[in-house]
Amino acid sequence: MRRVVVTGLGAVTPLGLGVKAYWSGLASGTCALRPLTVIETESFRCRIGGEVPEAVGGSWRRTRADRLAIAAADEALADAGLGEPERQGAALVVGAVGGGMLEAEAWYWAASRGRRARALPAVRSMLPCAHADTLAARFRLGGPRHTVVTACSSGAVALAEAAALIEAGVAETALAGGVDSITRICFMGFNALKLLDPAPCRPFDRDRRGMSIGEGAGFVVLEEETRARARGARVYAELAGYGMTTDAYHVTAPEPDGEGMARAIQAALAQAREEPAAVGYANAHGTGTPQNDRVEARALERVFGEGGLLVSSTKSMIGHTMAAAGSLEAIATVLALGHRVVPPTANLDIPDPEVHFDCVARVSRESAVDCAISNSFGFGGQNVTLLFRRR
Amino acid sequence: MSAPVRVVITGVGVVNAAIVGDSAALGAFLAAPRPASGVAEGGVARVPSSVLPGLIDAGDARRLSRVCQLSIAAARLAVRESRIDAGGGLGLVIGTEFGDLASTHVFADGFLERGPAGLSALLFPNTVMNTMAATTAIAVGARELTLTLNAPTVAGELAVARGAAAVASGRARAVLAGGVDEIDPVVERHLPDLGFGGDTLGEGAAFVVLESRATAEARGATILGEIAAATWRALPARPWGVGRQRRSQAVTAALDHAGIAAEDVGAVYGSASGDRARDAWEAAVLGAALGASTPPVARLARLLGRHAGLGVLRVAAAAWTARSGLLPAAGAPPTGLTRVASPTGLVHGLARGGAHVALVVGGP
Repeated sequence: MRRVVVTGLGAVTPLGLGVKAYWSGLASGTCALRPLTVIETESFRCRIGGEVPEAVGGSWRRTRADRLAIAAADEALADAGLGEPERQGAALVVGAVGGGMLEAEAWYWAASRGRRARALPAVRSMLPCAHADTLAARFRLGGPRHTVVTACSSGAVALAEAAALIEAGVAETALAGGVDSITRICFMGFNALKLLDPAPCRPFDRDRRGMSIGEGAGFVVLEEETRARARGARVYAELAGYGMTTDAYHVTAPEPDGEGMARAIQAALAQAREEPAAVGYANAHGTGTPQNDRVEARALERVFGEGGLLVSSTKSMIGHTMAAAGSLEAIATVLALGHRVVPPTANLDIPDPEVHFDCVARVSRESAVDCAISNSFGFGGQNVTLLFRRR
Repeated sequence: MSAPVRVVITGVGVVNAAIVGDSAALGAFLAAPRPASGVAEGGVARVPSSVLPGLIDAGDARRLSRVCQLSIAAARLAVRESRIDAGGGLGLVIGTEFGDLASTHVFADGFLERGPAGLSALLFPNTVMNTMAATTAIAVGARELTLTLNAPTVAGELAVARGAAAVASGRARAVLAGGVDEIDPVVERHLPDLGFGGDTLGEGAAFVVLESRATAEARGATILGEIAAATWRALPARPWGVGRQRRSQAVTAALDHAGIAAEDVGAVYGSASGDRARDAWEAAVLGAALGASTPPVARLARLLGRHAGLGVLRVAAAAWTARSGLLPAAGAPPTGLTRVASPTGLVHGLARGGAHVALVVGGP
């Protein structure tokens, strides 16, 4: 059996550029949700979100999302020490939702108001698959390439897809992750659904009122273990299992009993050949909406029972970074295993009595966890669980 | 080591400008190929407005966007033909190039015209490209893995390749793999900006039901064809550009996996859509991969217009060629039929930017 390990990490988040800034912010429970500046928020009830605070490198002719992706991918590839020969056959799987929609919106807004605007750059970069072509050309990645769009679980699905390619022997190495910049359509859409909390989101809090949107990019380098060891790569963790299921219930609402989510968790456990008791930490999807958090807790309870498992939500600190969420949360999970520290759920004051888990309120927790899961769910009932194990 | 899982096709569903139905309807079209209405006039191949009301009930028609209706209609046709029980475990992989951009424009227009009060909570989910997969999964009860793959030109072929891989690996008992696109006026207007000026455009959906041969035989399903190999790779190219490299790892890997030589390929279904630079690159890649033995190449986009559904249709068509020994649209004019020397077909997709798919398809 071919084992898949993580050998490189890259992150650009509202907590700053780079994995170091990301982990430092997570471990200290820093909430990076603040008034949005990249889009106009006047006349909306919610006006905050998780925005990448610093200028990321790259040409300004590229879309914001492409620049986020390039920065995170660059860090992951450098971290893994992947040279030109390894990159030539490396697979690339990108999870994306908005693509270059931020710039396409600006063009569409301007054109609709009768202003002159150049269509070509906007149209060229609008589709989610634009990121993969950009990254492949930039980093000379010549292996299999595809773009997955599974709404808010896209980043996690990208990792699962890349792992599948390595397990099948199609590739030895892969760059995988997700990216999204804040867009007007996303912000307006969640406002229209009344799913945004005007204040920073409070996942698993009794009084939570919704989510906060965010942006970012998270990429990892995955490799077949023996090959990674042979080249002396640092192994962060093993991606030992993953499960992908569908609720087939409702386009935006999760199946109320969490059955589909539970099947995804069980599939990840089965592939990793782990019992539920082996899992010490769950990085939850944890959006902060009343319904989603409750259903996720039910799913966790179906698999793990009440109690022992530590659960926390990265979104409480960086917001819901859409297609990047699954990969950034996977990185948080890997770092938690490595540092033996479980990051907290920020803004959690009064635990929801219906959530029967320790949700690590506000302060991170030292914990010798050897096995952890990262849950990601999306519109369309798209459930994904990644299981990481210390190696 | 266990024997490799053989992946077969047990159902086909097609809804486009010229074909509505299952494998029989597809076969009838392929046996007498003709340009779809619209294409013949040098325009685009649109699905006639009379088609969907016969396939989608009034309630769904009210709730669902047009591209979701196209997807559901074709998916149901494929599931019906295969007689598969989704409750036994069914995955769903959909390829699309443009998703539901029409709804995205309407959603944005609502805001531009009326501010926040003009935003529709019902339309917002359609702005996410997996909306067709979400609604189709509900419609057919697909509860295993669901993926939406976005790629120019090759999204449909990629969906079939990914679906076949899921079945072959044992991740899914069966997968409904499809492609769907709708012509959006804004996209249509700006496609020439992307280099697609010469493309014959189309819209519609096509699905195939994929499952292991053992599963299909055990339940007594009619096998329409076999996916002997499905690979996807990439060739170097700038985003939206065409490359120069001709050596195809995708075709080589597909032939290797299928255990055949280039000269065993009797027919090719290519992307060829009228984008001259891309078409020339594809022809060069095929020439390098298949050498002097390059068999006749079917160019269905000239009849049905390029859309993600066409990539899936090509796979089903290759299975028909394997059964019938006939290849449509390989000559000029594209309305003729060519008799093939071997039943094994290669379905080939190559996109601007370098995404590259190859599938080897055989008969039942």
